[in-house]
Amino acid sequence: MNNQFVGKVKAGEIITYIVLILLVLFTIFPILFMLTASFMDAKQILAMPFKWIPSKEYFTSSSRTFMTNFVKAIRGNNNNNIFFTAMLNSLLVAITCAVTTVFFSALCGYGLAKFRFKGRNVVFMAIMSTMMIPFEAIMIPLYMVTRSVGLMNTLPGLIVPFAISAFGVFQMRQYLLTFPSEFLDASRVDGLREFGIFLRIVLPNSTPVIATLGILSFRNQWDNLLWPMLCAQAERLKTLPLYIAGFAEEKQTDEGALMACAFLASIPMFILFFTLSKYFLGGAAVFESRKG
Amino acid sequence: MKHRVKTYSIERKQARYGFLFTVPCLLFFAMFSFYPIINAFITSLTNRRAVGRTWDFTGFENYAYLFTKGNGGFSLLNSLRATGVFTLGCFVPMVVIALLLAVLIMQLRKPGHSKFFELSYYIPAVLSSVVAATIWRIMFQPTGLINQLSNTILFTSGKDYHWLTDNGMLVASTIIVYFWKYIGYFTILFITGLASIPPTIYEAAIVDGSNRWHTFWKITLPLLKPTVMLVSIMAMLQCLKTFSTQYMFVQGGTARLPIDVITMNIYFTGIRNGYLGRASAMSIILFFIMLIFTYLQFSAQKGGEDVEY
Repeated sequence: MNNQFVGKVKAGEIITYIVLILLVLFTIFPILFMLTASFMDAKQILAMPFKWIPSKEYFTSSSRTFMTNFVKAIRGNNNNNIFFTAMLNSLLVAITCAVTTVFFSALCGYGLAKFRFKGRNVVFMAIMSTMMIPFEAIMIPLYMVTRSVGLMNTLPGLIVPFAISAFGVFQMRQYLLTFPSEFLDASRVDGLREFGIFLRIVLPNSTPVIATLGILSFRNQWDNLLWPMLCAQAERLKTLPLYIAGFAEEKQTDEGALMACAFLASIPMFILFFTLSKYFLGGAAVFESRKG
Repeated sequence: MKHRVKTYSIERKQARYGFLFTVPCLLFFAMFSFYPIINAFITSLTNRRAVGRTWDFTGFENYAYLFTKGNGGFSLLNSLRATGVFTLGCFVPMVVIALLLAVLIMQLRKPGHSKFFELSYYIPAVLSSVVAATIWRIMFQPTGLINQLSNTILFTSGKDYHWLTDNGMLVASTIIVYFWKYIGYFTILFITGLASIPPTIYEAAIVDGSNRWHTFWKITLPLLKPTVMLVSIMAMLQCLKTFSTQYMFVQGGTARLPIDVITMNIYFTGIRNGYLGRASAMSIILFFIMLIFTYLQFSAQKGGEDVEY
C-alpha cells in the first residue's frame, strides 16, 4: 500500500518534470538559435536541415574574416558605425530613467506614506489615476509638445516623458507604509532635516524595492521602441531598438549579421539578469504590494 | 496648553514637507499624463495635420470618419479586429499555461529545481521585443527552423506552413512571439500569487485525504480566483498595447493588414501620414477600451483584498 503510494507520487513527479522541461526547451531554443546563428551565414541559417553547430569554415576561412557578422552588425547598413552610439544612448536613457524614477517615486511615496497632510488622499488618487492613461494613447500629443518645446531629437526628449512612473510611486508608498516611524522620529530628535532623513535614512533602508523598481524602469526604457521612433529621428540619437529596427528593415540585410546584432544588443540585459535575477523575479511584486 | 499648540504646529510643519515631497510628481503627471490626454481629446475634434499651421474644429467628424471610412485601406474597424484577435488569441493560452506552470513549479520539492525553471522561463522576457521579433521572423522563414520543427513534430515532410505569408498564420506567428516573450513573466506573477496562500490550507486538505487533483480544483483554484482575474486583466492590457512585434514583422516585409493592431495604426496614421486629429481620435478610443479593463483590474484587486485565508 505504502509502496504503491510512493510509486504514484513518483509517476506524477516524472510527468511534472517532463512538462516543465518541454517548456524550457520552448523558451530556450530561440535564444540558442540567436547565439549560434550569429556565427553563421544566411545560407546556413536557412539551410534544410538546420545544423546547430556553426561550420568550422566560419572561423577558419580566410575569405570570411573572423567575426564577419559582428563586424557587419557594428558597422550598420550605412557603414556609419553608430552601433556603439546607439548602445550608449540606450544605456544613458535607461539608466537616467531608472535613477529619476527611483528618486522621485521614493520621495513622493515617502511623502504619501509617512506624512498626514491635507489632501493626501486626493494627491494619491490623482497619481494612481494616471496609471489608466497608457502611453500609446498620449503619444501623439507628447510628440506635438516635444516638437513645440524643441526637445525633438535630444536626449532629454527621450528621457523626460519617462522620468517618473505612477506604478513606482505606488510601490514605494506601499513599501514605506511599513517603514518604522520610530526610526524617523529618532532621526528628527538627532537634528536631521526632513530631506536629510529621506536621503540618509529612508533611501538606504529601501534597497530591495529600489533595486526592483530601478530594474523595472531600466528594462522598460531598454525595450522602448515607439517613443524613440517618434522623438529620435537623427542617427546620432538612435537607441538600440531603433538601430535594430533600421538594420532589419533593409531587404538585403543578411540574417547572420542581424542575429549578431541582436546578440550584442542583448548582452547588457543578460549580464544584468544573471547578476541580479532575484530583483527581476521580484519585478512581479504587484502581489506583495497589494497586500499592504 | 502652550505646549499642545507647539506640538501641533511642529506636526503641521512636518506635514507640509509631506506635500512638498509629492510636488515634483504632481507637476510631472500634470505635464506628461493629464495635459496630453486632454490635449489628445481636443486634437481628436480637429482636422489638425503634421504639416501646416492652421486647423479647425470639426466636432466628431474624425470619429465618424474612422467608423465609416477606410482610412486609406487601413481602417479602424480592421485594427480593432486585429487587436481583438491578437489579444484573445494571446492572453487566454498565456494565462492558462502560466497558471499550469506555476502550479507545477510550486509542487517541486527541490528549491534549486524551481529556481532553474523560473529563470529559464523568464529569460525571453529579458530580451527586448525588437530582438524577440527579429529572432522569430528569421526562424519563420520558408526554409527556416520553425517549418523544420513543425514538420518533425506533425509528421509532415517538407511542408511550408507559410508562417509569414498566409494571413491567418501571420497573426498566429505574432501571437507565438508574444506568448514566448511573456509566458515566464506571467508564470512568476502566478507563483507570487500562489505563494501568498498559506501552506497550512494545503496541509489541512491533504490530511483530510484530498488528492492533488482534487486539492487543485477545490482548494487552490477558488483561492486563486482573484489572482487569476488580476493576472488575466494585466495580460490583456499588455496585449492591447502590443506594437513592437507587429511593427518589426511589417518592417521585415510581411503584410500589414492582418496584424495592423491599433497602436500601429495610430503610429502610421499620425506620424507617418501626419493625420494628427484622426490619430488622436484613435488614441482616445484605445484609451477608453483600456479604461474599461483597468477598471476591471482595480475591482479585481479590491476583490483580492477581501479574501481572508
